[in-house]
Amino acid sequence: MTERRLGGVGVTPLSGVGDVVWYAPDAELDDPPAPEDVDAEAETTRFEEARTTAREELQLERERTAERVGEDEAAVFDAHVQFLDDPQITDGVEEKIAEGLPAEHAVQRTFDRFVEQFEGMEGRMAERADDLRDVRDRLVRVLAGGERVNLAELPEGSVVFAERLTPSDTAQLDPERVAGFVTVTGGRTSHAAIFARSLALPAVVGVGEELYDVEDGETVAVDGTDGVVVVDPDESTREAAVDGDDVTVRHDPVSTADGVEIEVAGNVGTRADLAPAADRGADGIGLFRTEFLFLDRQSPPDEQEQYEAYVEALETFPEGRVVVRTLDVGGDKPIDYLDLPEEENPFLGERGIRRSLSPDADLFETQLRALLRAAAHDTGGDLAVMLPLVSTVDEVVAARERLELFADDLEREGIEYAVPEFGVMVETPAAAFMAADLAEEVDFFSIGTNDLAQYVMAAERGNERVADLGDYRQPAVLRAIRATVDAAEGTDVWVGMCGEMAGDPELTELLLGLGLDELSMSAVTVPQVKQAVTETNTEAARKLADSALSASTKDEVEQVLTQNTQS
Amino acid sequence: MPERVVEVVPEDGLHARPASKFVETANEYDSEVKVGPEDGDLVNAASMLAVTGLGVSGGEKVRISAEGDDAEAALDALEEVLSTPEDEL
Repeated sequence: MTERRLGGVGVTPLSGVGDVVWYAPDAELDDPPAPEDVDAEAETTRFEEARTTAREELQLERERTAERVGEDEAAVFDAHVQFLDDPQITDGVEEKIAEGLPAEHAVQRTFDRFVEQFEGMEGRMAERADDLRDVRDRLVRVLAGGERVNLAELPEGSVVFAERLTPSDTAQLDPERVAGFVTVTGGRTSHAAIFARSLALPAVVGVGEELYDVEDGETVAVDGTDGVVVVDPDESTREAAVDGDDVTVRHDPVSTADGVEIEVAGNVGTRADLAPAADRGADGIGLFRTEFLFLDRQSPPDEQEQYEAYVEALETFPEGRVVVRTLDVGGDKPIDYLDLPEEENPFLGERGIRRSLSPDADLFETQLRALLRAAAHDTGGDLAVMLPLVSTVDEVVAARERLELFADDLEREGIEYAVPEFGVMVETPAAAFMAADLAEEVDFFSIGTNDLAQYVMAAERGNERVADLGDYRQPAVLRAIRATVDAAEGTDVWVGMCGEMAGDPELTELLLGLGLDELSMSAVTVPQVKQAVTETNTEAARKLADSALSASTKDEVEQVLTQNTQS
Repeated sequence: MPERVVEVVPEDGLHARPASKFVETANEYDSEVKVGPEDGDLVNAASMLAVTGLGVSGGEKVRISAEGDDAEAALDALEEVLSTPEDEL
């Protein structure tokens, strides 16, 4: 047996070995046999049996969802059962079987007719097309004798293969059992990639169609550094893959070589991200993206549910600081119950703090109350609240007034609370220009470099054609960072960074030279950045930053950085 | 054949949970139950596909009809579902 190698995009500098578990394998059917070879009676019985099995599965999933998420979300499974038993569906399938099609083909064609019909409609009805597709795929899978892959109960050491992974798929994954994952589609910024980085799992995405040639149960080595998947790895490849991640994890806070302590924190979205961030040695959470609490559900989380999520984060980092970013959504996010407007340019539209002040004022109130209560939870750590997409002083003043107002409400209601640290994301050019004025209103800044680069350079994130412009090594981005840090100089305001730039260990020295006090990143690179901090000398870092700031092109910035590494 | 015109109270109209409950109720009776717009063609009320395919929004009126021994009881039960706000279903 020789090794086979498949190439893709590596998204974490980690590697691992395990056995392939295909998630939702391709349900494409072979061509149907000739009608005279089909036993209609037997096929009808198979169809009936498949419906029974599917109904039992749905019942189980309904119960699990009701328990884990809530009754509202579980109701979607009732609709699935009803589609399964719908007379139009059952009659349609039986008719097609009578015409000489095997059960799976009859199911596929009958459902597809309705899927198409619903796809052509608007709004709520188009969503039904997704439900129908789900029910169709379930029946076809049952008929094909396929076992359902339960992402929550994978065998230890599984490497999950999938066409793509959605947030609801990954929410079920038990990271303890996953040795890595590989997807057919997707790039560096796909959900699967972000997920892999926050859980510190080896992952390769965007391998392409050839991934389908790898079968369930085959052993693979996943090399997330070079973006390679090795099927049937030989002994030396295996060993290399297992030993690949040789960086030392430090659980204590680190200081530069000359003794300046720097906070190195983790970015998290879901609860599942908390443990990996702690395992990789994060001092705290520098960015808790709360939108994941709001996605993939039928109604917003209530105050108690949010309170519990924030407390869980605090308890994971008993000595550290947890910075919670208030809900940051806009027209690009599919959240049904928010009724988000369709906008021509959602990234310049009503999003982030703009929605929180109005029209999502009620959600903002619930979130701020939950945060005020969580801040009183005594773990020894600190809670901080951070506003997204701030562009004016007015927004910050208005938000702080609400925070104070809700604190008064809690006081009157006799509910325990504490006022958390209060800060803003600096991710618009306006915030960078106004940083000195904003500094008078806040306790901290956190520079979100992904959006800052996008807005400073007017170069859309994720658009490969302008990727070079939107790069955080552009001198204009560096100067916006410096302007922000300078504005906080001489005040009590601390300045952190929570974009991807903060997690690039090759830039740690530059960032410390620019004057950042805190760096927050996906769990995976925390050890590398901590290592880089300890190797940095503040005086030399400042000189490096000055040279980089005097550069007038991105190439010059890169030259400055390369020369520094070589010297 | 007994029939009634009823206003759909749930905000979501005949979608998601209200539709689910409506179809479930229609299936509990032996009568053949139909539903549709006030002045349009009626469809099988026991079919989730047919019911959601109507695209009825909250506040609209629908006509329900039933034929069979328990027709009146079926209409009573369906009228109740249509008149109950979503959060009380």
